[in-house]
Amino acid sequence: LLTLSLPVSVLLLAGERILASAAPICVHGQAGCHFLSLADLFDRVIQHSARMHSISSDLHSEFEQYVLPSRNHIGRINRHCHTATILTPNGKENAQRLAREELTEVILKLLVAWKDPLWQFHQNMVHQDDFNNFSSNKALEMSYMVHELRKGVEKVADKMQHLGMISNSLSGLSSPEALDTSSDTSGESQAMSDHDLLYCFRRDSNKVQNYLKILKCRIVPENGC
Amino acid sequence: MMWRDVGVTLILSLILPVVAQGARHTPPGKPKLTSCRSPDKETFTCWWEAGSDGGRPTTYSLFYHKENSETVYECPDYHTAGANSCFFNKNETSIWVNYNITVVATNALGNNFSDPVDVDVVYIVQPHTPENVTVGVLEDEDGPFLRVSWEPPRKADTRSGWITLIYELRVKLEEAEEWEEHRAGQQKMFNNFSLHSGGVYMVQVRCKPDHGFWSEWSTASYVKVPDYIPRERSMWILIAVFSAFIFLILTWIITLNRSSVKHCLLPPVPGPKIKGFDQQLLKKGKPEEVFNSLVVQSFPPRSTDYEDLLVEYLEVYVNEKQELMPEGKDLRDVGCLESKSQSDNDSGRGSCDSHTLLMEKCGGVESKDESSYEEPELLQGQAGSWERLERGDSQVVDTPDSSDARVKTWPLVFSPSIHGSSDNHHYGTLEMPKQHSTSEITYSVPDHLFPTSTSFPHHHHPEYRDSLGEYSEYRHSRSPSTGVLYHWEAQHHPQAHSNFNIRNLERQKEATGFGLPPSRSMEYVEVQKVNQNQLVLKPLSSHGRGPSQVQFGRAVVDYSKVNGVNNDNVLLLQRQREMAEAGQYCDYREKEGAEAERYPTQQQGKTTKDGPVATQLQESTCLTTSGYVDTVPTMPTF
Repeated sequence: LLTLSLPVSVLLLAGERILASAAPICVHGQAGCHFLSLADLFDRVIQHSARMHSISSDLHSEFEQYVLPSRNHIGRINRHCHTATILTPNGKENAQRLAREELTEVILKLLVAWKDPLWQFHQNMVHQDDFNNFSSNKALEMSYMVHELRKGVEKVADKMQHLGMISNSLSGLSSPEALDTSSDTSGESQAMSDHDLLYCFRRDSNKVQNYLKILKCRIVPENGC
Repeated sequence: MMWRDVGVTLILSLILPVVAQGARHTPPGKPKLTSCRSPDKETFTCWWEAGSDGGRPTTYSLFYHKENSETVYECPDYHTAGANSCFFNKNETSIWVNYNITVVATNALGNNFSDPVDVDVVYIVQPHTPENVTVGVLEDEDGPFLRVSWEPPRKADTRSGWITLIYELRVKLEEAEEWEEHRAGQQKMFNNFSLHSGGVYMVQVRCKPDHGFWSEWSTASYVKVPDYIPRERSMWILIAVFSAFIFLILTWIITLNRSSVKHCLLPPVPGPKIKGFDQQLLKKGKPEEVFNSLVVQSFPPRSTDYEDLLVEYLEVYVNEKQELMPEGKDLRDVGCLESKSQSDNDSGRGSCDSHTLLMEKCGGVESKDESSYEEPELLQGQAGSWERLERGDSQVVDTPDSSDARVKTWPLVFSPSIHGSSDNHHYGTLEMPKQHSTSEITYSVPDHLFPTSTSFPHHHHPEYRDSLGEYSEYRHSRSPSTGVLYHWEAQHHPQAHSNFNIRNLERQKEATGFGLPPSRSMEYVEVQKVNQNQLVLKPLSSHGRGPSQVQFGRAVVDYSKVNGVNNDNVLLLQRQREMAEAGQYCDYREKEGAEAERYPTQQQGKTTKDGPVATQLQESTCLTTSGYVDTVPTMPTF
């Protein structure tokens, strides 16, 4: 099963890459690429995040409904998400108090932190009998979406920087931060159970979606705010 | 004794309840958290229901602790949200944090804890109902429609993007049973169509965050749809009246034309209608009489009016038995040529026989009006044909008696002036000389020859250019009788010569240029009788003699008879005896001179290309007194 899932996932990722390259979205409006406004970009990433969150919700409820009763879980007292180290605003005022750059940075941190754990989760799921194929596909899609969403948010950040809406302090954040967070949370993520992982990711995907909406209505409040 | 027992029992039965009542004070029953809700994702309220109170006044307290923290907090506000509730204000509310909430019921005897409940505020959002729901009836070209608009609840902050609400509304007529529900997405306005005019509608709206609970329905808004003029009904009435009217008219028309309609719908079976056929005779069994009656005396028509028997062309074929010269091999391969080469039967010739069809088959050289010959290709094609003709002619020249040649004239196509070749000569009078009875020159105008005109041996061209003009196509009508009219453009004199000097003609044409007279009228000569090889023409009314000179308005074309053909592509023309017109002498002498000069060159028989010579048509024609062919539009040399 693992060997089967590997080429499939590789194909999926490759295909998506090809699709993306077929109609590249350019931030600066170069010739030969499809130009999107910042509002369009925001709408896209927000839709993307909404879909990601809905998939995670589905998986979590499936897990609680079908898998959890069969396992002997003592309790969910010490649920620990590996992204707890990332400081995220826990309320509206807190979120609005954050600067645009910081908010964007938080989003990116979250997305970066979840890429590997989700992949691992999918791999683990393939081996287990708890989930059916449908859930397995969802898990794969989920991990793939995190990756894509991160790229989308990076594009949005680039565009914002290009338009002068945010400072360029963000540019140096992606790679080193990613490395840091992954190194920090790598050990912890493996200790997470499947249920905890799903619970944590459901919440974090909701955070990402909400933060993106706040960012959008702060920057391009034309429609839908 | 017994009295005493009864009394004790009575007293006991009275006392025990009292005592028991005192003993019923127990710790409170277990409370239960019923729900926690947040209207704005910034605050939330939890409600519980009390268990049994145990007979004592019971107090309830709510305790909670956040996830991964052992610190227990008590509910900050028990009153804002009413009885048995706990309200968490903004400062105490954290989103994306799991609250573990417990309610404790306490009375004098003890307390009782409820089951803990995990709450994440994000998932318990239930907004208030939408506000300012307004309903109106608007007009459209399709009719009236309802427009409902509303606003999000005050508490939900949608402007900053903190909450995203989606809306739903429901509509029904006041007296109806079922609601009609519509999702409106994130928009704050909705149009509802297809209303019942004169009815009263009720509208309600509610909303829900993207992950949360639906709000309550807003209070119903009523709207009355005004009574509209039943346009639809009146329209239908109008249509009905109109169609009835049309139906009446159609019926009237049909009854008027009853018979013709019957004829159209049920066509009568045609019976046999043979004129003169008598069915009774046939029934009687006398077929001879029947068939005799069919014989029409008037057939074949012998009337003198040949207008209805007008046939445009008479084809006279002169077969060429001998093989063509080797150089013409490629030309012979032309389909058109071959098709005509062998047969000597002029009737029933299809494809390449009629000049028109020939044109079509031979590459689309159209037979145009006599007056419109502008295509050089055409002329070139003719030139090509001439070559072949010329060769054929040369053959004929050699052995005039033995050769079969067909002469074809193309008056329409080339609008030529038909000079009197020897053959034409005969044909002019429609009396073929006996010498030439068997001689046929086959001429064809294969179109595809034209582009390859460079291969033509040049000296052949000139000789047959005249023949281009000279060739008029004859076509027999079906009945080779006297009732045949010919197109006759040339004057032919009955002289039988097998040798004709076309070269002269050619040179003349070269000198004068080749073109086609823009306007040429056709004249018809009546054929009196067609013998085996003779066509006897009736004399034209205007002239008292035989085939007289045909005059074409200003451009008089005079033809000289061809005396004969020399052995080497030379046409010998005969002087004309009759000259109807004395006037027009063209610069004939010059032509003669030119001819004389040219003659030696042509004699060589080289394939020299003269270049465009005589490309212009000389309008005026001259009488040829000396036997030379006058100005006939010649084909440009190749």
